[in-house]
Amino acid sequence: MDGYLISQIVNGLCLGLIYALIALGVAVIIGIVGFATFTQGEIVMIGAYSSYYVFLWSGNNLIYGMIASFMITWIIGMILYKVCYAKFFDSPEYISLICTIGFSMLLKNLAQIIFGAEKKPMLNIIENKIYHLGIIELSRVQLMVFITVIVMVIILSLLFTRTSWGLKLKAVSQNREAAALVGINVDKTAMIGNCIGCAIAGAAGTLIGIYYQSAYATMGATLSMKAFTSATLGGLTSVPLAALGGILIGVTENIGIAFSSASFRDIFSFGFLIIMLIFKPTGFGRKRGARA
Amino acid sequence: MNELMLEAKGVSKIFGGLTAVDQVDMKVYKGDIFGIIGPNGAGKTTFFNMCTGFYTASKGKLFFEGKDITKMSSDRIAQLGITRTFQNIKLFKYMNVLENIAVGFHINTCSNVFDAVFHTKRYKKDEEHVMQKSMEILKKLGLQDYAYMMAGKLPYGIQRKVEIARALAVNPKLILLDEPAAGMNPMETDSLMEFIRLLNKDGYTIILIEHDMKFVMNLCNNIMVLNFGKKICEGTSEVVRNDQNVKEAYFGKGLTRGIA
Amino acid sequence: MMYKMDANVKKAIMLVTVIMMCMLPHILSKSIMTIVCSIMGYLIIAGALNVINGYSGQMCFGIAGFYCVGAYTMAILMNTFHVSFWIGIIPSGLFAAIIGALIAIPTLKMKGMFMAMITIGFSEVMRLIALNWTSVTGGTMGIKGLKAPMFFGLKTSGASRYYYIYLATVLLFLFSTDRVIHSRIGRAWMAIREDDMAAKSLGISLNLYKIINFMYGAFWAGIAGALLAPYKTYIDSAYFTLDEGFNILSMVIIGGQGTLAGPFIGVTVYQFLVEGLRFAGVWRYIACAILIIAMMWLRPQGLAGNSESVLAGKKNRSRSFIKLPEVFSLDRTFGTRRLGKANIG
Repeated sequence: MDGYLISQIVNGLCLGLIYALIALGVAVIIGIVGFATFTQGEIVMIGAYSSYYVFLWSGNNLIYGMIASFMITWIIGMILYKVCYAKFFDSPEYISLICTIGFSMLLKNLAQIIFGAEKKPMLNIIENKIYHLGIIELSRVQLMVFITVIVMVIILSLLFTRTSWGLKLKAVSQNREAAALVGINVDKTAMIGNCIGCAIAGAAGTLIGIYYQSAYATMGATLSMKAFTSATLGGLTSVPLAALGGILIGVTENIGIAFSSASFRDIFSFGFLIIMLIFKPTGFGRKRGARA
Repeated sequence: MNELMLEAKGVSKIFGGLTAVDQVDMKVYKGDIFGIIGPNGAGKTTFFNMCTGFYTASKGKLFFEGKDITKMSSDRIAQLGITRTFQNIKLFKYMNVLENIAVGFHINTCSNVFDAVFHTKRYKKDEEHVMQKSMEILKKLGLQDYAYMMAGKLPYGIQRKVEIARALAVNPKLILLDEPAAGMNPMETDSLMEFIRLLNKDGYTIILIEHDMKFVMNLCNNIMVLNFGKKICEGTSEVVRNDQNVKEAYFGKGLTRGIA
Repeated sequence: MMYKMDANVKKAIMLVTVIMMCMLPHILSKSIMTIVCSIMGYLIIAGALNVINGYSGQMCFGIAGFYCVGAYTMAILMNTFHVSFWIGIIPSGLFAAIIGALIAIPTLKMKGMFMAMITIGFSEVMRLIALNWTSVTGGTMGIKGLKAPMFFGLKTSGASRYYYIYLATVLLFLFSTDRVIHSRIGRAWMAIREDDMAAKSLGISLNLYKIINFMYGAFWAGIAGALLAPYKTYIDSAYFTLDEGFNILSMVIIGGQGTLAGPFIGVTVYQFLVEGLRFAGVWRYIACAILIIAMMWLRPQGLAGNSESVLAGKKNRSRSFIKLPEVFSLDRTFGTRRLGKANIG
């Protein structure tokens, strides 16, 4: 039984890392643009599709796939910013939120029309090798996801705290008027912030496509919610805490499953969120919600 | 002496490392018009916020008619009979003036959801009471013409008046006015002064924060001066006017010494 | 006197509208009546959501959860306990209201996204409980074999007959909500929406009124669910997904939050778009998505919404390109009428 529990925890960690990977982008977007997004899952899907087609064309070259999904989702991020955020900085936050819901609907259904409803297989992109660390077994993809999350957290944290450009992003996220007064191009900075968030999700899409060995139009739906849950747990705007939230949710889910059945998975993650928020109404972070 | 209404005993408020209000003692008696003055950032509004429950005092205690209100929530305090206006007017902008005032009657009415749905006797009595009294208040303030206008669209001076009208609807014992004359021209200020005197005669006790010295000196029978969160002087307008500390707080040390 | 005239005219218009609504099943074909019925169902739940989001300014994204609670309560009452529809409808609403209070209490201090997230989480948990608690809810199989009720010997099955139950409930909902909104409670809700600090300073207990607000909304959402169960004769958890919740939210916002007429317009536009474009397959969802985005761009306060409300944002006036006559903001006119009449009397 103990071995089973440990393997469930390891599985939970791997799943949590995937949630964390998407939650990173969500936290970046909420942190910089100040608006929440429900489109993240669809960006992940676009990322997965774009790398799928590049893999077809380039013969499973991982680097090309990553770059392609990164670039395409960057562009989608620009469109998303123009459509859903740029106009609504003076409006109540739910307006842009509804816009992102509309945009996600648009992307999901367009993807279904363009790419078809069936799953696209993404097999053998990375050689499936399994590493043994004591009793823990890690596949190569899982290791890659793990490394990506860690590297992303470090890079983003450094970016926001150590570089002047990161300071700019931070300034825009805290007070747009004041940032504009000291000569920051607020619109452009916020857009770049949004693009970074989206592009991270795009790159995550490639990894997730490889991890689940397929890309399909509705793959983002649940992931999006889970990522958002993770970011909420982390206080919405903090990148490392969002990653932590993702991992915690993954682990909670799998521990819960270990004691019940797999169909209860989402009850555990949302239940965990609700209970956490009851005791810590702003998640792990100290700051109040982005614009609330 | 009249009976004690609001009493502050060594009240302090500390934000992080900043002491916004420092050991302030205050006694407001029934029937007073009590003025709080002080330079910008002296902690006047913070002090108001503590009196009305928006902040909790870090140290010290507040008593209203002998009851400890230090840790009460602001709606409980309002129910005891303290209400306030705000420095930056907080009207319900999407509701008309009459509705704004009707909201003020909240604690003096008691109908619930069922009464509202079935239009019971209690509901009808409440609504009638609200309508009648609101109209009275509007007339008192000369706002009848604005009754059906959206509060957010009114001129600034009128909005201030509506806010006071709304506070009156609560039927409080004590009204706290936060810079009631801000943004008013001299004419409007004079009429406001008259109005506050009138209110006082009607039996309302009033505490007000104001920057207009003439206004405060003419109106208030007791004045407290705050500077950097500390009380530096308290007394009638005569006492305050001749106080060295107050002069220093407003004009700086060099100037007053030089003249003296 | 003018107001009184106005009120009489309005009463007459309403009466005519109601009579026309009663005639609908005789005029329209059965397939259109199905759409009308679904519109009616959505009207109640969108109206309920509007009470929560529009009138007290909270961010409830999980209205589908209450919908689910109401529907399953009704189905279980009918199927397991053989309770008649007419008796079961109130407990279904009340049960949803109790759940609403349970969700409202922890969210009292929350704002914005945190509140949205916790209600989303709640909605999903409700759906998943319905999906997994097989012994009670039938699990993935759902609950089958529900019968439309008998009304004094008259059958109500089928869209054109069940329509009358929906119509009556919608009217009841409108009637009671209109009255509550224009009472002390409704004013307290709106005060909280417009400025919670000022509301507090006037002695309004934010906690109590937010809970009442949530319970009222949840009650009607539960009723909407309770009506759905015997109409479809079969329910499963797929009716109550998050997407459904988002759809309802979109309808409310397209129509205009904080007005009684808003959800009606929103639901009608949205439903006719979805149902009317059925031939277009997946493309209709794209049309819906574009409608949602376009509405947010052109009229963020919604078709019936008023641009002065806090719900429309600061710079709304320059952005609302589509100008509608004042008539559409029924809510405002009603409000004025109410207080005006009392003034005369």
